[in-house]
Amino acid sequence: MSASAAGYLARRSAQKERVRILYRRALKDTLNWAVHRHLFYKDADELRAKFDANKHVEDLDTIDRLINDAEATFHKFQHPDPYIVPWAPGGSKFCRNPAPPQGIEIVYDYGKEDKD
Amino acid sequence: MATSLRSAILRHVRVSVQSLDRFRPSSASWGPFHNQSRNLSSHGDEHLKREEVVERVIDVVKSFPKLDPSKVTPTSHFQNDLGLDSLDNVEIVMALEEEFKLEIPDKEADKIDSCDLAIEYISNHSMAV
Repeated sequence: MSASAAGYLARRSAQKERVRILYRRALKDTLNWAVHRHLFYKDADELRAKFDANKHVEDLDTIDRLINDAEATFHKFQHPDPYIVPWAPGGSKFCRNPAPPQGIEIVYDYGKEDKD
Repeated sequence: MATSLRSAILRHVRVSVQSLDRFRPSSASWGPFHNQSRNLSSHGDEHLKREEVVERVIDVVKSFPKLDPSKVTPTSHFQNDLGLDSLDNVEIVMALEEEFKLEIPDKEADKIDSCDLAIEYISNHSMAV
């Protein structure tokens, strides 16, 4: 009994994590599609309503199926060019560095001057 | 004989020590590093002060519509103390990301569930502005 209870809890917590991460990604993607705040708030409320509609589902297999469907929908409607914070990988400032300050020069034979 | 010769030679060979004022950081005129506060990366090397992080995190959490702003303290847990659910937690973390212009990986953002964890994470993050 305890093994099945532990199995139930493990599966349940894995599902909860999947839902949280899916909601997070979907919410970010909503902001990608609706670039203005007044559009975003409405879309975010709709997204939240979709998640809340199945809040009280108890059957594990049904929950799995719902999560799979939702993930499939999310992947299908993902934004092709999402907003990425500039310094993050894929962002416009990623691996970009400013020019070195005036007065700094590179000494190419650094450490070998004494041998000349 | 040898010692007197040695001292006589050393007296001529030795270079007297001069103070090299221009290499001291106090002389502001020399070199590109005279201004110690200059940023050497495009982001800036300054970090947020912890008090400022605390204040701004509390502000963001207080402005969340589903909770009572008077209950928010720097140590409150989003779900246990403020009565939110896990999806509200996700929304708060996203609001914090936008406030501090961060991009938190999903797995790490999932673990932030209280004000003090958020403060800890953000004040240790080098890119938070």
